Amino acid sequence: MSETKTVLIIDDDPDYVTAIEALLQSSGYQVRSACNGREGLHLARTIRPDLILLDVMMTERTEGFFMLQEARRIPELSQTPVIVISSIYTDQPNFRVSPEAGWLPASLFLPKPVDPARLLAEVRRLTEAAADPIGHSAAGRRES
Amino acid sequence: MKILKIPKQNLDLFMAVLPAFGEVYAPVQRGKGFAFDRPTRWSDVQMSYPRTILPLKKFLLPPREVTFAFNPREGYRDQLEEAGKPVVLFGVHAYDIFGLNILDRVFSQGKYVDPYYVTRRRNTAIIGVDFEPDDKHFAYSMNADFVDSGFDLFLSDIGEDYLVLVGTSRGDDMVLMSGCLLSEPGEADFAEYKRRSGLRRSAYRIKLELGELPEILEMEYHSKVWEEMGDRCLSCGSCSAVCPTCYCFDINDELELAPATGNRIRSWDSCLFKTHALVAGGENFRSSRASRIKFRYYHKQRGFVAEYGRPSCVGCGRCVTTCPAKIDIVTVIETIRGERNESSSSVTAKA
Repeated sequence: MSETKTVLIIDDDPDYVTAIEALLQSSGYQVRSACNGREGLHLARTIRPDLILLDVMMTERTEGFFMLQEARRIPELSQTPVIVISSIYTDQPNFRVSPEAGWLPASLFLPKPVDPARLLAEVRRLTEAAADPIGHSAAGRRES
Repeated sequence: MKILKIPKQNLDLFMAVLPAFGEVYAPVQRGKGFAFDRPTRWSDVQMSYPRTILPLKKFLLPPREVTFAFNPREGYRDQLEEAGKPVVLFGVHAYDIFGLNILDRVFSQGKYVDPYYVTRRRNTAIIGVDFEPDDKHFAYSMNADFVDSGFDLFLSDIGEDYLVLVGTSRGDDMVLMSGCLLSEPGEADFAEYKRRSGLRRSAYRIKLELGELPEILEMEYHSKVWEEMGDRCLSCGSCSAVCPTCYCFDINDELELAPATGNRIRSWDSCLFKTHALVAGGENFRSSRASRIKFRYYHKQRGFVAEYGRPSCVGCGRCVTTCPAKIDIVTVIETIRGERNESSSSVTAKA
């Protein structure tokens, strides 16, 4: 990498944050974290990360979804790549709405538990593809 | 009409997918009141609220909007693209939907169709929800406590679930998109719906008689009630601003320094304002406060009946809760009907 990229992790599970933080730092990324959507949004506006890793079920079980919608209304965050990482589909079996259906303005959806190698590859891809930050060129990459 | 149900506990998941249909606004707490705004999390959304400060017209007929820009190089450039941004209004009470249906008749039908209003209305999805009337609601008296059109979905509380009326194909698309969150209701759900509907109707504390009101207003055109109200009215226009069906607007050109360059602005007006009936030459057809407030009542309760077959009031109670002079439409009508003794205190809100 030509310059250090910053990744913001928004997740209420401190063990998960610690693990992903270690993974990303060992690969040369600068990492910041927040434990809920509101704190995450505030931090994102302040540091303007190159990528956000966003949990869904935090203080409220749809908090990540709401936070992402709010972030997209903020000009400086409207194009920031976001990977939503959540176990909501296994936790809420009635919620059978594909993340590809056009309602989730994320670059990618990954189910928890996430494969570290896969996550690292996607982080690398999205932080280096700044010209297409929403990830439209990688259409169909969302996974449920 | 298709009827489904959704568990209350799944409403947050349902709402999460609504941004696919537009920017979502819902009733949220604002100070001591409520307003339609963007919720930042599900717990911001107030499913039970008396009324919002402003009605839905702020979305369809904004307080101030640029209708078109003009300059010598491009000529006129309308702003319809901005008006066409899709919006979802979640948690709307029946009387407010009824108010929009009334505005539809004014702006969408007849000889002069308003392209800005029509564009916004077409791109605005509405999800209604029922409500418990308080001591200022009289929507039942105005036949506006229930709507059978003007919404995409309508939610009615039946205990653990909401019964969901699907009003449009867009509403059906919302149902389809939300996967398995909604299901078929049963006989017990319908029975509970009917039971609760009856309870809500009987919960209205204000019963206002509207029979022959246009004729009675005709007879009471010179009543001293109007002078008494004129003495009290501050001409602030608050009642018009919060009314779901007041639609008076003013048009002004804001010019820039460059020649023939500027914007044509439409902004809310009020028939209570002293300048409302002021015309060129300085003549003012309603220069007194009494004449202006009388005009407001006659337009809503008499003129509208002649033109559209019903009053334009929907019984939301906003004007009653907002008026700084505590002028109360219910007591005004009761006084005009002779059901109250006329006195200077007769037109003010009950304590």
